[in-house]
Amino acid sequence: MSTATIETRPGTTPSASGKYLTFVLGRESYGIPVLRIREIIRMTDITAVPRMPDYVKGVINLRGKVIPVVDLRIKFGLDKAETTERTCIVVVQVSLHAGNKGLMGLIVDAVEEVINIASSDVEATPDFGGKVETQYMIGMAKVRGTVKTLLDIDQIVAAETVVKIVAP
Amino acid sequence: MAKIPSSSLEKLKELTNSISLELVFAEAGKDAGLLPLNNLFGQLEEHVAADWPEALTSGFGSFRALIDRVFENGGNFDATTITQLNGWVQWLVRCWDNLGLQQALPAHPQFGAPASTPAPVMLAAPTSVDLPEEPLVMNIESDGDLIREFTNESHEHLQNVELGILRMEENPNDKDTINSMFRAFHTFKGGSGFLNLKPINQLAHELESLLDLARKDVLVIDAEVINVILTGGDILAQFVTEIELQLVGTKPLQPFVVATRPLIARVHAIMNRGPSKAAAPVVAAPVPVNVVQMPPPAPTPVAAATPAPVSAGKPSQAQAGDAAAGGAGATSIKVDTVKLDSLIDLVGEMVIAQSLVSQHPDIKSIQNQQFIRNLSQLVRITNELQKTAMSLRMVPVRGTFQKMQRLVRDVAVKSGKQVELVTVGEETELDRTITEEISDPLVHMIRNSVDHGIEKPDDRIKKGKAPVGKVTLSAFHQGGSIVIQIQDDGAGLNKERILRKAVENGIIQPGQQLEDKDIFALIFAAGFSTAEVVTDLSGRGVGMDVVRRNIEKLRGKIEIQSTPDKGSIFTISLPLTLAIIDGMIVGVGHHRYIIPTLSVRESFRPTPEMLSTVQQRGEIVNVRGRISPLVRLHEVFGVQPQSTDPTQSIVIVIESGNDHRCLMVDHLIGKQEVVIKSLGETFKANKALAGAAILGDGRVGLIVDVDSLVKLKAAPIQKAA
Repeated sequence: MSTATIETRPGTTPSASGKYLTFVLGRESYGIPVLRIREIIRMTDITAVPRMPDYVKGVINLRGKVIPVVDLRIKFGLDKAETTERTCIVVVQVSLHAGNKGLMGLIVDAVEEVINIASSDVEATPDFGGKVETQYMIGMAKVRGTVKTLLDIDQIVAAETVVKIVAP
Repeated sequence: MAKIPSSSLEKLKELTNSISLELVFAEAGKDAGLLPLNNLFGQLEEHVAADWPEALTSGFGSFRALIDRVFENGGNFDATTITQLNGWVQWLVRCWDNLGLQQALPAHPQFGAPASTPAPVMLAAPTSVDLPEEPLVMNIESDGDLIREFTNESHEHLQNVELGILRMEENPNDKDTINSMFRAFHTFKGGSGFLNLKPINQLAHELESLLDLARKDVLVIDAEVINVILTGGDILAQFVTEIELQLVGTKPLQPFVVATRPLIARVHAIMNRGPSKAAAPVVAAPVPVNVVQMPPPAPTPVAAATPAPVSAGKPSQAQAGDAAAGGAGATSIKVDTVKLDSLIDLVGEMVIAQSLVSQHPDIKSIQNQQFIRNLSQLVRITNELQKTAMSLRMVPVRGTFQKMQRLVRDVAVKSGKQVELVTVGEETELDRTITEEISDPLVHMIRNSVDHGIEKPDDRIKKGKAPVGKVTLSAFHQGGSIVIQIQDDGAGLNKERILRKAVENGIIQPGQQLEDKDIFALIFAAGFSTAEVVTDLSGRGVGMDVVRRNIEKLRGKIEIQSTPDKGSIFTISLPLTLAIIDGMIVGVGHHRYIIPTLSVRESFRPTPEMLSTVQQRGEIVNVRGRISPLVRLHEVFGVQPQSTDPTQSIVIVIESGNDHRCLMVDHLIGKQEVVIKSLGETFKANKALAGAAILGDGRVGLIVDVDSLVKLKAAPIQKAA
């Protein structure tokens, strides 16, 4: 995002309430809607796929299905971290374009818990002045004094975004 | 019959066309297009002559009335009028067509005051039969699912009918055939009656009654009867197709008409002459067959006796027939392919898990006899399970072959030839996708064989052959692949002409010496098929390059043998399944990639003498005199190799079409049959990969797309690294 103005999404706040799975990346905390989560698996062997953006780590074998895996740390521009016992892959269902649904794995440092978030706890994503990509954020939730960023999973891994970067 | 000179008929058609184009712009509540419409219609009216039939002139009157009404409404169209105008134009188009064919004119649509229901769209030629065609009205909201089910089943029944007709032509008195067709129409009637699809119901009822008479030996099956049934099947198919198009939303939901009246009239005509022919001697014998087929409780005398009350006998007989058919044939169920694929995925995983367990050192060290026996039992079962799972996707080629029967029949009739199609090995099983994809190329080749390969009866007799040409379509296994063969006993390919044509089109150099096989293969060359070839080379070049491409897409290949005046043999070899490929696993750095063995020509470690460079960048390898550019896989994929020196690496010669490249990899790991899995949408844009496969250790291996690697030449390779 190079443009200075970033569109905030005030309209999304009312629908932001519900159950979220929260996970950590470094010292930051994020949430994804629980209904999108298929399963959480331990870190496993990832086959790197060439000619893809660096945050697409590759593909894994999920009980016979080949699914892509995205490293959220790289996607969000965080420093690389060593894989630990707590590192895991959150398998989510994403809507790809043309209405197709697919599974995708997200590498996170650790999962925390499932929390219920009321819409009153959610604030629209503020304008970071172009420093942060906000188009895939639903809003910021205040939970017990901490702030968790709620993510719009489809936007993060939208096939178009991936394709755009890959195309020579 | 009106005599309209063909020159003015053309003009009329043109005007009609313009009118229908203008109508496209007509919108309810607007006046767009009204003036041009009026103008065009005025031009049409100028052509009206005194000797025109009344049907036509009165039709013109009704159009004038419609246009006037629009003017009266303040110059704005309304939805009803637009529909009526459209209906009128369609009627007019039919009129011109029928006039051209010297046929009776269709009745023109009647428009009174603005009607509440839109006029039905005409799909087929209206008729001169007095009764109006009833439009088919569907109630999608309440019956949507049922109608969908109805159409799904209909395909099966239609296929049965078609098949029955073919059998009937060979043996008109075969009771099994008549019964199966009777059942098909009966089911049609039942289903359509339930869903209130009236026109289908009526037609099916008439055809059913016709066949019922045949079942009771009141009616002799002759060419006319067969033709009527065939047409009936086609009309029902038309209905089904239209319903499906409307269901999926390709076409707007609206009542529509397919002409059934003329056929029903023909059916009635046949049924009326029926009894007089009942005494014909041919029919007497097969009666008992019907009786035997029925289970004890069914009223046996019905079939044997002369016209018994139809309503009493029919249902029970139909049921009896159904039961018999159900008991005799193999039963099958329909399964969602998604479920099937996931089952196959899971079985694949189970095989891997099983081998991980049984190969584990701790397990292997166990000496317990009981345990070893149980483990080997498990291995056997998983292997058996995998084999069964893989075979689930396999279907017999029967369905595809049966379609060809009809094709041969049609093409033979059209081209005035007598051709017999013999099919062999219909029970051979092929991957479902392949059977679907192979259909088009087969149609193409069989049509060619009949149309151009087989000679006319006179010519055949002159050559000392039987007047009836023979095309044999066979399928069989051969060394791990399936072979489909089309053999005709026609004139064979003309080598001189092929060579001449190839030279003319610049495919080969004049004077080039070629073997027979290579000459025949020329007809597959792109650019060989030109319009001129169609006539010159009796059409054998038409689209044959497309045929070859389709077959190659299925990872198959095609060969031709041909002997002048003896005929030609086209041999297609196909893989057993598309789901599995033979792959060569190669290593680059710590990455593994799979290269389809089909595209691998050879692999070797190059010596320094074999390598040279162009402009210090373009590397080439001299493989026994053949120059091939070197493609470094590690550069293309941007991974760290063990060695960047080709003489320390392995070079694999890969081929795609006529192009080849030398692919540099670190080492070969092995050869393995792998199940291809899609990489999904995320990697769709990544042309370098054809898919993925789960390797023996449970990890994912990527399948390299050889085609894109070979075509990589244009793009600078360094950029990708």
